Amino acid sequence: MRRAALALALLLPVLAWGAPPPGAVNEETVRQIAAQLRCVVCQNLSVADSPSEMANQMRGIIRERLQGGDTPDQVMAYFVEKYGEWILLSPRPRGFNLLVWTLPFAGIGGGLLVILMLTRRWSRRTRERPVAEPVDPATRERIRREMTELGQ
Amino acid sequence: MTAEIGYAMTAVALGLALYGSAACAIGARTNRPVLIQSAQHAAIGTFVLIVAAMLLLVYAFLTFDFSVRYVAINTNRGTPFYYRITALWGALEGSIILWSAMLSLYTLLIIVRYRSRQAEFYPWVLSVMLGILTFFLLVMTIPAPPFERLAPIPPDGRGLNPLLEDTGMITHPVALYLGFTGFTVPFAFAMAALITGRTGDEWMRVTRRWTIVAWYFLSLGLLIGGWWSYHVLGWGGYWAWDPVENAAFMPWLTGTAFLHSVMIQERRHILKLWNLTLIILTFGLTIFGTFLTRSGILSSVHSFTQGSIGAFFLGFIALVLLGAFGLVAARGDRLRAEGKLDSIVSRESAFLLNNLFLVAAAFTVFFGTIFPLLSEAIRGVKVSVGAPFFNLVNIPIFLALIFLMGVGPLIAWRRASRDNLRRNFLAPVGAGILAAGVFRLLGVANALALTCLSLVVFVAATIVLDFYRATGARLRTGERLLPAMGGLLMRQNRRYGGFVVHLGILVVALGVTGSQAWSIQTETTLRRGEALQIGQYNVRFDGLAASEESNHFKVTGTFTVANNGRALAVMTPAKKFYPQEQTPIAAVDYLMGLREDLYLVLGDFARDGSQATVKVQLNRFVTLIWIGGFILTLGAALAILPEPRKT
Repeated sequence: MRRAALALALLLPVLAWGAPPPGAVNEETVRQIAAQLRCVVCQNLSVADSPSEMANQMRGIIRERLQGGDTPDQVMAYFVEKYGEWILLSPRPRGFNLLVWTLPFAGIGGGLLVILMLTRRWSRRTRERPVAEPVDPATRERIRREMTELGQ
Repeated sequence: MTAEIGYAMTAVALGLALYGSAACAIGARTNRPVLIQSAQHAAIGTFVLIVAAMLLLVYAFLTFDFSVRYVAINTNRGTPFYYRITALWGALEGSIILWSAMLSLYTLLIIVRYRSRQAEFYPWVLSVMLGILTFFLLVMTIPAPPFERLAPIPPDGRGLNPLLEDTGMITHPVALYLGFTGFTVPFAFAMAALITGRTGDEWMRVTRRWTIVAWYFLSLGLLIGGWWSYHVLGWGGYWAWDPVENAAFMPWLTGTAFLHSVMIQERRHILKLWNLTLIILTFGLTIFGTFLTRSGILSSVHSFTQGSIGAFFLGFIALVLLGAFGLVAARGDRLRAEGKLDSIVSRESAFLLNNLFLVAAAFTVFFGTIFPLLSEAIRGVKVSVGAPFFNLVNIPIFLALIFLMGVGPLIAWRRASRDNLRRNFLAPVGAGILAAGVFRLLGVANALALTCLSLVVFVAATIVLDFYRATGARLRTGERLLPAMGGLLMRQNRRYGGFVVHLGILVVALGVTGSQAWSIQTETTLRRGEALQIGQYNVRFDGLAASEESNHFKVTGTFTVANNGRALAVMTPAKKFYPQEQTPIAAVDYLMGLREDLYLVLGDFARDGSQATVKVQLNRFVTLIWIGGFILTLGAALAILPEPRKT
């Protein structure tokens, strides 16, 4: 549904031969793009969230670009060209940036492996050494007798 | 004069703390109780001096003593009375005073509680705590003195950052710092255990409740911070993965891992090394957080000051880590655990996994937060790592944690038999699956939301099942229902406090899921008398009014809101213009509800009041986050209560 709306939003300008009627851009698409971009005057808010005037203008630019027939990717590329990679709130997963995307999961994988190895080694150690000495029959009989006495 | 007196007090406090730390260590080593006694006096003196210095600074704020530079920067004659007090921790220097005051308070409590107990640990604990206090006092005397003199004395000050003029800022830093500094206690005991070679479980047992106290305050601080973000920053969110938030979240994650893994050591005497590592990391992260947020190394909402104290903090962090892990290495022979485990399907394993995911989350947050610095240093390219990244990477981790939250408390220690698994998990798993089906039929299409809802129901079912059975057991002994339930909470307060915390987390999880999945917003420019429709609400713009406040100029919009045609409220979001700020500050207005909040932010407007832009959000289920947070703190408070003596 969303994708269809997006396709429609992108197609409309083409159908209208480059003269898009106002309001033809899907606001949800604008918001999705804006959520990926950093508001340049704010501390750490996305263009979608920021209440600042600058973010408002940037949302306007996104809307205009989409209306002009840009794909969402082209809109993002426009902002990257203008402000640098810094404008993207999540670093593009390529080159050096791959590190930040993969290391957490590599860590989890490594951790799982360590836990698996440790638990196997530890449980083997337990199996080799029984936890408690077996109770001899005489003692067991005494326990049983005392228990029944207590019960009365 | 104030500046000189204040500076003298911090300097003397520094001397006393340094002396006390050394005297304690020497006294313990050479077995001279006199020295320890003298160190105790020094610690009390330090506490008195720091509190006095803090009060002096408050006095300077209240009397507009602009001869003190810090006062001149963080207040002006228009700052309301209330905020002149909280301006104390409005920036770096004052925050360090607050930190020191909290730390010396904990030190005092340690003296009161343990001076005639824990004879082996006590002097070393005191020595470590005073040593850490020495560092903060050093920061207060050299790189960031709060009592620096300003000459010539300006007629008026610059003013507090307007975002800090909020009630949340009264409680948020206090709670947060009580949390941060609270972790010093278990850390100090851990160090004492390593130094004395008594590396058993004792240090952990002694500090168990201290750790929960620290965790309680840190959680409270995070929650109030989220609340502040939601109702002050004007973007309708409660968590932005801002470096400052991350800085407080990391020690919370590792601290939570520590709280859980000590239970395994208490029960099974394994993981000694791991628990030491966790508490060292947690303590290190509290210091790292301050470094990150207060040194100005990263720009973010809270980093209002740029200072040259980065080197001090980095040096101290290096010292702490090297010293602590050095001690761990030196005691390595005593820490090599007799690791014993009966089965992989056991509570031990569930807790190990819980630790893995909590630490993984902490690592993700840590690495994501510092990655922009790395990228700039190595590639020379500035990148941002923000909310989209953290959400994507952390969501699977948090889902796994919620799942484990259901498994951990009910799976058997040592080896879970098939019978144990069936008895404890068959019904909850069924409930979870059923819930997924029901919510799907009710129209929840978002796969992530469905997964989360299903997991929440599963975990809630395990908690209810356990409580139901335990109450049932008590009823069979002839107790009545309410005393049985109360007795369960009070007598096994640690276990059931934990369950209540888990319930709180579940409610928070529902709030986060709901707000992420179902919130909607719109932004429109309205002419006077014009209205917009969002959900079942009709929001009509009725005009603007301007007013002159004590320290700013305010433009207020009036919006009449109707719910399904019925008049509901008049809402007044505003914009505040402070002379010391370039851009106006939004003052949001919102109507809170259990299901949704109607949240209005005033944007641009025509000077004649004929039209205004307004951002309207329907934030769904956000209130659940505050409710869940409240439940969570209740549970933590329950777990802090002393455990009743086993008879």
